[in-house]
Order: sequence, then C-alpha cells, then structure tokens
Amino acid sequence: MTADSFIFWMLAAVTLCSGLAVVLVANPIYSALCLAMTMVGVSALFATLGAYFIAGVQMIVYAGAVLVLFVMVLMLFDLKTELGTFSRGKISGLLKIATVGVLAGFLAGVFSMSSELAGKSESAGALAGTEASKTLGGLLFTKYILGFEALGVLLLVIAIGVVGLARSKGGTHAKH
Amino acid sequence: MHVAKVEHMPSTNIITHIGLNHYLVLSALLFVIGMAGVLLRRNVIVLLMSLELMLNAVNISFVAFGKYLDKLDGQVLVFFVMTVAAAEAAVGLAIAVSIFKRYKEVDIRFFEHLKG
Amino acid sequence: MGSDAFEITINGIKLVLVFLLMVQAVPVLVWLERRGSGFIQNRFGPNRVGPLGLMQLLADAVKFLTKEEFSPKAATKLLFYAAPVFALIPGTLGFAAIPMSSPLHWGNYVFPIQGYNMGVGIVFILGVSSLAAYTILMAGWGSGNKYALMGALRASAQTISYELALGLSLVGIIMMYGTFNLSEMISAQEGTMVFHAFGNTVSTGWLPNWGIFYQPLAAVLFFSATFAESNRIPFDLAEGEAELVAGFHTEYGGFKMLLFFIGEYGHMMVASGLMATFFFGGYNIPWTTTEQVYQWAMGIAGTADGASALTSLVHFLSYMIKLGAFLWIFIWIRWTLPRFRYDQLMDLGWKTMLPWALANTVISAVVIFAVSYSW
Repeated sequence: MTADSFIFWMLAAVTLCSGLAVVLVANPIYSALCLAMTMVGVSALFATLGAYFIAGVQMIVYAGAVLVLFVMVLMLFDLKTELGTFSRGKISGLLKIATVGVLAGFLAGVFSMSSELAGKSESAGALAGTEASKTLGGLLFTKYILGFEALGVLLLVIAIGVVGLARSKGGTHAKH
Repeated sequence: MHVAKVEHMPSTNIITHIGLNHYLVLSALLFVIGMAGVLLRRNVIVLLMSLELMLNAVNISFVAFGKYLDKLDGQVLVFFVMTVAAAEAAVGLAIAVSIFKRYKEVDIRFFEHLKG
Repeated sequence: MGSDAFEITINGIKLVLVFLLMVQAVPVLVWLERRGSGFIQNRFGPNRVGPLGLMQLLADAVKFLTKEEFSPKAATKLLFYAAPVFALIPGTLGFAAIPMSSPLHWGNYVFPIQGYNMGVGIVFILGVSSLAAYTILMAGWGSGNKYALMGALRASAQTISYELALGLSLVGIIMMYGTFNLSEMISAQEGTMVFHAFGNTVSTGWLPNWGIFYQPLAAVLFFSATFAESNRIPFDLAEGEAELVAGFHTEYGGFKMLLFFIGEYGHMMVASGLMATFFFGGYNIPWTTTEQVYQWAMGIAGTADGASALTSLVHFLSYMIKLGAFLWIFIWIRWTLPRFRYDQLMDLGWKTMLPWALANTVISAVVIFAVSYSW
C-alpha cells in the first residue's frame, strides 16, 4: 500500500464515520462537533487532490466560522435533552430510507456506467502550489466575474436580512 | 468468491491505486448520509448541518473532477458553493433562533408557524 | 516529505523538536510573565525559590501535577476532558509551519528548519488557528457552569469577529509579495530596502527591506487582532475575572489548566512568529542577505556543510531574538493596559479595525497596480 492510498483510505474512513455520526448522534452539540471533524477531513481530502488553497479556505470558512456559529447557537439554546431524535412515523420513515436507498442506487449506477475518466491517471501536476492559486484568482476575476459579483450582492442581501431577522420582536436587542 | 464487479475499472488494484472513482464514491456516500439526515432528523439545526454535509460532498466531486480533467473551474465552483453555504447557514440559524425564542424548541414542525 | 529513510527520519525528528520547543518555551514565558509583571507594576514577583525565583517553575510543575483531579458534577465528561487536549492543536500546528531559519544544506539533502514547508503557509496557519474557538466552546459548555458558558460564548464571538480583521490585514502583504509561502516572503525581505516604482529602482542603504515599511497599517491591525485571537489583555473578556470568575476555564485546575496555558502561549508564539515573518524580515539578520551570511560563515567554517549549518544557526538565533521581542511586547501590554468593555470590543473589531483593514487592502491594491504598471 502506498502512502497516497493509505492517506486516502484513512481520510475516507474519518470523513464517513464522522459524517454518519452527525446524522446518528442524538445530542446536537456532538453532531456539530462531528461535522467539524468531517469538515477537517474534507479539507484534507482537498489537499490530497492538490487543491491546497481550497483546503485552507475550507478550514477557515467552514470549520472556523460557519460551524463555530452552529456550535454557538446550540450552546445558546442549551438543549439538555432532545425528546425525539428522528422524525415520527414508521411508514414515512421507511419511505424516506427507501428514497435515500434509491438515490444511492442511482449514484452507484451513474458511476459504474460513466467510468471513462476513471482510467485517466493523475495529471501532470502543472496546477499546484502558488501558481494554481494565482490561476484560480485569475479565473475568478475574468471568466466568472459575473458570478463573483452576484455573490457579493447575495452576501450583502443576506447580511441585511439576517440583521432584520435578529432585530425582530423578542430579539436580544429588542426595545421593550 | 467474487467481491465487487470490476470489469469497468482498468486492470489496476482498487486498494492501492486511487483514482477519480474513489473520490466520486466517497462524495456520493457523504451526500447520501447528508440526505438521510435531512429527511430523518427533527432538530432544525441538525437539518442545516446535514445540508452542509451534502454541499461538502458535492464540493469533493467538484475538486476531484477538476483535478482529473486538469481544469481549475471546479475549484471556482467550490468557492461559490462555500459562499452560498455560509449565507444559507446564516439565514437558517437566524430563523432557528427566532423560532426558538417563540416556542423554546427547534423542532422542524414549528416552522409551519413561520407565516406572518 | 522525504525521499529516503534518512530524510524521513530527520523530518520526523524535526516535527517532535518543534513541538518540544514550543512546550519548553512555556515555563520560561511563565517566569518572564511573573517577573515582568512584578517589574512593570513595581512589586516583587516570585523571588523566593532559587536565584531570581527561577526554581519557582519546578515548584509550579509539582503543584500542577499533584493537584486533585476532579470534574464538576454537572459537567459533560467527554468534552470536559477533551477540551484541554484540543487546546494544544492550533498553536502546535501553526507554529510548526513558520520557518525558523534558512534551509540547511547537508550533503545532497536540504532540510527546511521548520515543521513543514507549505505552498499556502498563511492560509494553513489561519485555518488551524481558527479551530481554537472549538476548544473554548467545548470547555465552556462541557463544564456545565453558567459563567464558563458565558465566557465561552463571549470568547468565540470575539474570535470570529477579529478573524476578519486578521485575515484582511494580511491581504495587502500577500498582494505585495505575490505568494502565500512564508519562506518566499522572508527571502523577499532580505538586505536593505530596494523596490521598483514606475520603472525606476529605489534603494536606501539605511533601512532594512522589511514589510512594516511597506505596510505599517497592516502591521498595527494584525498585531492588535492577534491579541484578540489569543484572548490576552486587553481582549481577555473570556476570562474577565471581575464578572465571570475565570471564564471558560473556571472549573479547570491542575494539569488541565496548564494545558490551556500552553495553548494560550502557543497562540502568542504563532502570533509573534508571524509578526516577525510578515513585517520584520523573518529569520534574516537586519541589513544582510542570506548570501552574505553564508559567505561570512564560509570564511569561518571552510566546508560547504559547515557553512550552511553555521548560517542556519545564526539565522535561528536571529529569529529567536525577534520572537522573544514580540513575546515580551505581549507580556508588557498585558500588565500595562486595562480590559475593554464588551461593547467597546465589538465596536473596535467591526467598526474600526474591519474598515481600516478593508481600506488598507484597497489602497495597497491600487498602489501595487499603479507602481508596477508600465505607463
């Protein structure tokens, strides 16, 4: 077993186990911490794919900011015990699991049928290190400039909307 | 004793030779786990977290395709997905907080009172 | 990392050494902090155990190890015990990514004097240090104590807020050097000040080519934001003892407390190392280049291997002096300034530092473009 494959299998195991734990663990705080673990694993997977910059951004944005928000909100609620972890209804639950199973089947089918790329070995590795980050920035500001600007507008809208939601009746800064 | 069907794979060892399919399967599994979470859990915040899991799964396949096609466009899309996910988390959490303030619980079924 | 067994072994040992360096610096810093506080506030500080109170460290170690091991009844055991261990991770990983000296050429091998040389050094360090918020949240919630929880919520809100200013203040530096790699940044700061503007080469013989002369505002913002990141006075609202007993580590004692201490000092060391790397020439000796130092070492050692080793050693000492200077500033400020109020803290982060960091980014971008554009 080479080092590369060992790292991949280890990361895959970490990511999948912690991902499963997110869904299965009853306490939402443990769920959030497991999700943080998943994010770190995904970030490491990006690094194995040569996307170092994306891996760093994944750590900063997801593991460092978004999930900290989740954990903070959960701790603010301080839910000591959760009454029911999963939604009620045996038949609908079975249906949901069946849906998930069908989706998994579809995905498996798609992968087994479209393995043209699978034989393609790794690229020459021309896109690595700082050069890749520079090319990425270039792409972002030329080919994808419209999407980039749209994201800026989206973030502004979201910021204003969230402030509006948080200041609604009964907020922490409400005027009584 | 036959293991999995391997006729579509090239004649390399599936354990030691990591290719695109490995990353795609991993991404699919994560996506399915996330989807199960969204369908089955009741806590709104866990639902949001499962959504994040699904988005991450998609990101893995973007980056993997980008690498094996030798293009960076996949990584640009990952950027977009991350930004949208952060925005979605912010709004979702804000709504969850206002639901919690009203009902002292974050069960998904309280979301039917959102109107007005 | 390595290509053969020898190189892999050396690189493995190096990782352990970097960790030990960080952990072993903590007792020295604790001693310095106590003596320094005594000196600054005109009182004695520890001076009974051994000469200059140096043996106080051993006494402290015994105290930390022999304290009663307990956890509160309301605590969530798993998180309560995991939090102090996780506190070590951000500091250790971050510190290992900072280059501490010029690479050592030994025979056919090249050993960078740092834990690992990364192409995206800054992004990695920012990423791992943003994980520190989990430690605090785990400790605060796991203790099952309302003061601990309040402290943890405050601390994580503060960490997230100041991460923005921290990251943005570095954008100017990244644009200027055109790289994320810390080693490349350091080699760009060698020697005396030389830069190209409007097609001309401007050089001064009396200023070192340091980042702070190009990005002074970024240096101020970065240094202030690192104080907030490491939860030190004047940003230590997480443990404001007048309001919250001791904040997120109220329930911790003995060795668990010590681990939080090491985590905090690790943050300080990462911050000081980054400050030296971005703005003060890293391991370089002021006004000299690596090449000049190598020539000097060649004159003493004679062989290429010896000269390279001597160069690395001299640069390592230079880095340690810079690191120590910034650590001393951390201690100095802690015992000089009072603590912010919470609303002042948030105002400073969001209404002062963030706009200034944004302005710095925009102005740097315009200036870099204008200076390098062929008119």
